[in-house]
Amino acid sequence: MEHDWAETEKKRKRDVPVDSTLQWSQWQLLDSILPTGGFAHSFGLEAAIQSRLVSGPEDLKTFIIHLLENTGSLLLPFVYSTTTDPTLEKWQELDRILNATLTNEVGRKASVSQGSSLMRVAASVFTEVPSLKSMRDVSIASPGVVSFHHAPVFGLICGLIGMDSGTSQRAYMFMTMRDVISAATRLNLVGPMGAAVLQHQIAPLAEDLFKKWMNRPVEDACQTAPLLDTIQGCHGYLFSRLFCS
Amino acid sequence: METGKVVVEKVRGKSTVTRSFSKYPLKLIFPRKVGPSETDAVWIYTLTYGGGIVSGDSISVEFTIGDGCTAVLTTQSSTKVYKSLGSKSSDQVLEARIGSGALFVVIPDPVTCFSTARYSQKQVFRVVSDSSLVIVDWFTSGRHASGEKWDFELYRSTNHIFVEGNQPVFLDTVVLEQDSPVSIAERMHDYQVIAMVIIYGPKLKHVQDQVQENVKRLMSQQLHIPSSAKTNSDPAFIASCSVFGPKGMGVVIRIASTTTESVYKFLHHQLAGMQPLLGVSPYS
Repeated sequence: MEHDWAETEKKRKRDVPVDSTLQWSQWQLLDSILPTGGFAHSFGLEAAIQSRLVSGPEDLKTFIIHLLENTGSLLLPFVYSTTTDPTLEKWQELDRILNATLTNEVGRKASVSQGSSLMRVAASVFTEVPSLKSMRDVSIASPGVVSFHHAPVFGLICGLIGMDSGTSQRAYMFMTMRDVISAATRLNLVGPMGAAVLQHQIAPLAEDLFKKWMNRPVEDACQTAPLLDTIQGCHGYLFSRLFCS
Repeated sequence: METGKVVVEKVRGKSTVTRSFSKYPLKLIFPRKVGPSETDAVWIYTLTYGGGIVSGDSISVEFTIGDGCTAVLTTQSSTKVYKSLGSKSSDQVLEARIGSGALFVVIPDPVTCFSTARYSQKQVFRVVSDSSLVIVDWFTSGRHASGEKWDFELYRSTNHIFVEGNQPVFLDTVVLEQDSPVSIAERMHDYQVIAMVIIYGPKLKHVQDQVQENVKRLMSQQLHIPSSAKTNSDPAFIASCSVFGPKGMGVVIRIASTTTESVYKFLHHQLAGMQPLLGVSPYS
């Protein structure tokens, strides 16, 4: 107890220079109130439940960890590259590569719909970065050039509002975890309190996975959970469903 | 370094192997009589000395399938990847160019990595707008009959398809490594086989349509079992289809199964529509 208190006190008194504008923007970007449609997706969890692969809280935890590892290995490279080089050319190039990389139709469509919403919201919200709106306008004017996949859009926004690439990649893991846990509560796998406890339990594992897959070039992007990918592809075969993916 | 090369071209109107070479540890054979003589298809078998890939082996093959030709690449048994010595890994690289109106069919047996094995394979296919292509890429948990399940150190498999101008159409890499917060066995539940089937191009439209319909029917039935009748175990066979590429030219089927036999059966059944093109139906 004494020790804990001393540690917290030390941390609290640390003098860290804060870019206050950036911090407000960061929090808003990660806030679940931001209307990006993330909560319409279960990342394959709904299909996994209906095919009996996930049937209780313990299975759920395993599912989330696998999902986070796959997010790290497959998508963090795209977030990293666009955050560090948030230009129109880089973004369009990475969007095309990701479009060929997301070979699972369910996942690909989910990525496009979330990415399009996020770009639309960000262009209207972060008006202090006019290039967000101009990049969006240019891309909409020439259809087919960009599909608006989620990970490169997210990285682009982070880069343009001045977030560092470590934070943007960690934030991407956080959002994925947030959205899948939210889906789990609506699928009645856990209650809201249990979900919050679970989220905090998984955080250190998510941090390990983030460290393992951070700062990689897109050439390294890979699938690490082929079973999950197969299951997610079954989403379209479900007779009744709550989620889009 | 290159260990093999094959060129297939039209000679007097027939698909013919016009150039080929292979060297240790790879051997290529071209049996003459695989199908009826009126079928225009070249069959190519790859063999490795000692029946498998030894730690440190590096195999690199290049295929050129000329305009209008049909070629099938297959194996006679599963590719075994033996235990690795130290941190040495084994790798296989395949590069193929598929010409206009040509069809290349890659239908091997699965890769089986023994415990501690480290294996990496990369297949790159360069197609033009009217080439056709079938790729089956699959692997098992190991010698699961003798208790080795997902016991290898590393398995990496890359399949890339590019159209003219180096535009990517399909980029896929699966990496399973033991050095991860979650072990491979845990990630795989009770499944022993993971397979991917890619069917691309105009010659295979009928096969694509058939497979999509069959998989949808199979999985819908399986998923509609009322929850009261459901057992607690995972389904023994899961498959899902996705369309990809410009104008939806390609279909990819992903499969997870508890047995190798059921995947052989599935492949045989779903690819049977190719028999007129190849002379023999795949996996028969």
